[in-house]
Amino acid sequence: MAAQQTVPQVDPGPRGVTASRGPRRQRPSERPGIAYLFLSPWVLGALLLTIGPMLASLYLSFTDYDLFTSPGWVGWENYRNLFADDPRFLTAVWVTLKYVLISTPLKLAAALAVALLLNRPSRAQGFYRSAFYAPSLLGASVAVALVWRVMFDGGGVVDQSLTVLGVSTGGWVSNPSYALLVIVALAVWQFGAPMVIFLAGLKQIPQELYDASAVDGAGWWRQLRSVTLPMLSPVIFFNLVLETIHAFQAFTGAFVISGGRGGPVDSTLFYTLYLYQRGFTEFRMGYASAMAWVLVLVVAVITAVLFRTARLWVFYAGEEGR
Amino acid sequence: MRRGSARALVLVAVSALLAASAACGSDDGGGSGGGTVTIRFDWWGNPDRAEVTEKAIDLFEQKNPNIKVETSFAEFNAYFQKLATQIAGGGAPDVLQMDYRYVREYADRGVLSELDSGPAKVDTSGVTQQLLSGGTVNGKLYGIPPTQNTQVFSYDFAQWDKSGAAAPKAGWTWTDLTAAAQKVSDSTSGAVRGVADFGGIEDWFEVWLRQQGKQLYTADGKLGYTVAEVTQWWQLADGLRRSGASTPAELTTKMDGSQANDPVTQKKASSGFGYDSGFTAKSWEIMGREFKLSPFPSNTGKIGQYAKPAMMFSISKQSGHKAEAAKLINFLINDLDAGKTLGMSRGLPANAQVRAQVGGTLSGPPAVGSQFEQQIATQLEPAPPPPPKGAGTAKSTFQRVYDDVIFERSTIAQAAEKFLSEAQKAIST
Repeated sequence: MAAQQTVPQVDPGPRGVTASRGPRRQRPSERPGIAYLFLSPWVLGALLLTIGPMLASLYLSFTDYDLFTSPGWVGWENYRNLFADDPRFLTAVWVTLKYVLISTPLKLAAALAVALLLNRPSRAQGFYRSAFYAPSLLGASVAVALVWRVMFDGGGVVDQSLTVLGVSTGGWVSNPSYALLVIVALAVWQFGAPMVIFLAGLKQIPQELYDASAVDGAGWWRQLRSVTLPMLSPVIFFNLVLETIHAFQAFTGAFVISGGRGGPVDSTLFYTLYLYQRGFTEFRMGYASAMAWVLVLVVAVITAVLFRTARLWVFYAGEEGR
Repeated sequence: MRRGSARALVLVAVSALLAASAACGSDDGGGSGGGTVTIRFDWWGNPDRAEVTEKAIDLFEQKNPNIKVETSFAEFNAYFQKLATQIAGGGAPDVLQMDYRYVREYADRGVLSELDSGPAKVDTSGVTQQLLSGGTVNGKLYGIPPTQNTQVFSYDFAQWDKSGAAAPKAGWTWTDLTAAAQKVSDSTSGAVRGVADFGGIEDWFEVWLRQQGKQLYTADGKLGYTVAEVTQWWQLADGLRRSGASTPAELTTKMDGSQANDPVTQKKASSGFGYDSGFTAKSWEIMGREFKLSPFPSNTGKIGQYAKPAMMFSISKQSGHKAEAAKLINFLINDLDAGKTLGMSRGLPANAQVRAQVGGTLSGPPAVGSQFEQQIATQLEPAPPPPPKGAGTAKSTFQRVYDDVIFERSTIAQAAEKFLSEAQKAIST
């Protein structure tokens, strides 16, 4: 479909009547091959770096591949073992679900709140926008996660501040009840990317709507509920889908903060971290591939469900008649 | 779009695949043609060790001007993750550092060269047979230990003295340890615990098992213990934790072998178990005080410790320069100058001649370690055969499940049961 859109459209044809042609019709003299030539860098990348490895991992997920010896076919065994014979897999699923359910709404709320604050004309706006965006630029970096670990560790800044307030935690990182929250906090702190998108969305809302509602006597809260949020709902939806998928794939924070172990007591055993342990420290790459495919399917299903529910609450301007 | 564009797409795809396979094809053969051969040597360790290793390599290159050695090193866990990926991708280093716990795993999967015959043969006449058995899998030698080490108990003797704790002496028992540790904790009101919690480390559990005549793994690669032993061991450690004699859960859970997370180095505990090769020239400086070494406590009169290959050198089966790789290992293990340069950086040298020469030149912590090893040499047993496939996983599982005990998430018996079932799965698949 992408290819259809890139078919050259400027050619007026012999009679110069482009407008009368249906979008799907095509004349034999056109050379769509040219389009593919220009697309080839992307096609190459997609085939070699994405689709090829994905198909390879699909195959490996039905084998006992151990990285060194050639893979042997085992059928559905990996998938069966995942659900029937691996309590840690279920732990990993539960930890990841908790993380997605807590971190995504918090992150979006933080992003929206800051975007609303920044959406008023001010000379320093550019500065603040960059300042709030900065943590996301550092987001995937190991360095930030390391700093995070030091901050929340026993004797770290957070622990010491809490001790001053009379709360003794002994460090959040090594406390199974709080360790996950450390990683949630790290994710929420990196709200920059959705914030910038929210900000762009806010700027698209026509000023007339605010003016008109102000004339009708609507206050700030009323405007937020009846103008801003409905008008912003497509952007909220976009961010929700994106951040949910990101949260399912979270790895770096958990890996660095728990030292690659997912501890204490498996409290930060993220799905991807467990997958990594299985594949690269236990050499069970076939099993790890099966885990990867289960994750792909689950994320696909959840995204589909989100798209379904979107009909109920996402408002697209110009669709009122539907 | 149908016909022509589909054909174009196929064309692009095919040319892409061709390009990719062409890129793979040009990988072999490089370097062996001319006079100089380049081999790669990867190992794990710290910057301390890197410095002396580089010096020894320089010496090797001087003596063998037609061989160039490229090295790279990383911390233990990262090293093994990288190694696995490299081997899978066909880019294994020629000479690699191998661990006792992994040697069977790699040898069984056919990625290591035999070192007692064929092109990669290395002269091992100077190395004691006891140590070589640690690198022997199914009768063939796959790893040669350059050094040996053994388990050790180290304690801050000044602190123990001040607290009135009785110093370890020959024949001391686990009860003695418990009493002494309690005294240290009490005298500092818990600020410095008597001993770092040892319950989660499978290595120390193994020594305790051997004290009772049992083993971690049987000769045919099965678990040499049952739920009963694990329960008993964890009860012993749990008693110390509950009474405050050992470190609290939030410190114990962080122990990962690094100094940064070691309660003893951090002055949160005054003693702990370890390996004597861990004492390097800067140890006292890093730990901020001096330590004395003692054999493990034992209730049976047997100390249960053994002369362990501290690590091994292996040659990858993929290597195109096995003879040169063997030459490098030979040099690192047997050459007196290399031995002088490397010192105790990897533990006590396995070659008797090198060891004798190094022994005289030591000072500081390495001297303490070397003296300790000589003092208990007669009590050390030979190393058991390399543990089965999956032993690495079993070891990390041991520590992970012990978290359930220290955070009191389940009873000790339940945790032991859980560990056993996971460990059995790990070594049987």
